[in-house]
Amino acid sequence: MDKLLRDKKAIILFVAPALVLFTAILFVPIGTSFYYALCDYDKKTMTYNFIGLGNFVRLSKDPDMAIALKNSLFFLVFSCVSQLIFGLLFAALLTNINKGRNLFKNVIYLPCVLSSAALGLLWAFLFHAKVGINNVLGAMGLPQPAWLYSTAGFITLPMWVIAFVALWQYVGQSMMLYMAQISGISKSLYEASYIDGASKVQAFRYITLPLVKPMIGTAMSLNAIGSLKFFDLIYSMLGDKTENLKMDVLATYLYRTGFSSKGGNHYGRASAIGVILVVLCLLATAIINKLFKSENYEM
Amino acid sequence: MEKNKKPVKASTVLIYVFFCLMMVLYLAPLAWIALTSVKDRAEIYKSPFGWPTEFHWENYVIAWTKGKLGIAMLNSLIVCVVTLILTLIIGSMAAFAIARMKWKLSGAAMIYILIGMMIPVHCVLIPLFVRFAGWHLNNNLIGLILPYLTFSLPTCVFIMSGFFRSIPNELLESACMDGCSIYQIFFSICFPLARTGLFVTGLMTFIGNWNELLLALVFMSDGNKKTLPVALTKFVTPYQTNYHFMFPAIVIAIIPTIIVYCLFSNQIVDGLTTGAVKG
Repeated sequence: MDKLLRDKKAIILFVAPALVLFTAILFVPIGTSFYYALCDYDKKTMTYNFIGLGNFVRLSKDPDMAIALKNSLFFLVFSCVSQLIFGLLFAALLTNINKGRNLFKNVIYLPCVLSSAALGLLWAFLFHAKVGINNVLGAMGLPQPAWLYSTAGFITLPMWVIAFVALWQYVGQSMMLYMAQISGISKSLYEASYIDGASKVQAFRYITLPLVKPMIGTAMSLNAIGSLKFFDLIYSMLGDKTENLKMDVLATYLYRTGFSSKGGNHYGRASAIGVILVVLCLLATAIINKLFKSENYEM
Repeated sequence: MEKNKKPVKASTVLIYVFFCLMMVLYLAPLAWIALTSVKDRAEIYKSPFGWPTEFHWENYVIAWTKGKLGIAMLNSLIVCVVTLILTLIIGSMAAFAIARMKWKLSGAAMIYILIGMMIPVHCVLIPLFVRFAGWHLNNNLIGLILPYLTFSLPTCVFIMSGFFRSIPNELLESACMDGCSIYQIFFSICFPLARTGLFVTGLMTFIGNWNELLLALVFMSDGNKKTLPVALTKFVTPYQTNYHFMFPAIVIAIIPTIIVYCLFSNQIVDGLTTGAVKG
């Protein structure tokens, strides 16, 4: 038996495909990406000229990059905070009822499995300048805001709209994680607290919240990485407008710099944006883990 | 017999009211899109929220042919099914070796694979695009299958290794006594035993890749190689938006996932949660 499980040939045969794929499609390209970020790509000769930190210097002076970074950080903060509040609220309320819990849970989770591209088109129509929601607002004699066109303000209105659509779509994910954690808390803890005269709100504050804390870290880092990667919704809701209306996030700006017909093929600069994105992801995860690091209680 | 009926509390009623409102918020847009998809162009602009006066089913036919949705759906299906099968085979082989077989570097291999969960696809986009263009893999479905496969593997290995660890040792030992080779142990005993895990991982892989947009957008510029999400975004151009074709297209694109979700929602929800928590 032991000899069988130590069979070198079999181990290599089993693990090799996965490891080879990982190295070839993930780790080698990451290395290449870091190298490209230090190069200037010449479209005509298709060569990469080493220019050191030139791309990063250029990006730091680029007003479009500043907007993309601002919007991405806005999405990061908004999604972390809003998903924490609503995800936890939904989870806490749902664990309090028995009938219909599964139905509610499954419906709220539904948009998570649907294509963001499709849902983005749907919401883009609902927030259209003349039809959709504005049609109803107009009929009631209310002002019709230019939901997806407005460029006023530090964080423009379209960003808020998309942030709320993203919250609508993905809050199910956080809710599920918190629910899994809350249903693992022993009932006797709550019963003991009720005997001691605690109210439901107090029980939530002093039992649920501390015991859910480790999951907050996990869920929030997932949100943070997800919101930094944010591409599908923005692209399908705003399309090519991101360019004209200054509504880029890092992912769309990377796509535009690298592949858009107008932006040209600045592979070097786009790779630099990719590197910044990865660094932000790691940084956000590290900060969140530090903030919510706590010992696991026995439950 | 006395029936012990609890009084219904006001807070419980409030919770139900709240979640019923949420149901409307979540289901109304989907119901609305189905209704709007059978309106003609004038009616969409005139009364976007009304009940359709006439059911224009031909919208679907036009969207299907004009938007090349048929070929797009076929591409999506090919890519997702091939990725699914390869992920399950390669992923569970690696998971088995890591979870059950005895070798020094198994822990390191697991960490190596799990790092893949943290890395955003954007970061490898450009090197992969350049490399694949050199190998003539862009505008080729294989060029999409390879990265999808790689990015689906970490979750698969993570979930499957949990399943393989739960298989009792006695089972493997008795198989060994009966003269099974390690390959037979894996393919005829462990692989079939872990089918719950395979099912969950398979669903998640399929759904994730079915919805993927960025890679498909970059790699598939040829009209006949587009996947469904890419084909959808092409309905909106800076110059015109044909809403009466766009809505049927959206319905066509999300119906398969809705059906799959309705059939297996409990497994999907559980699977996505365990997959996301990663230990």
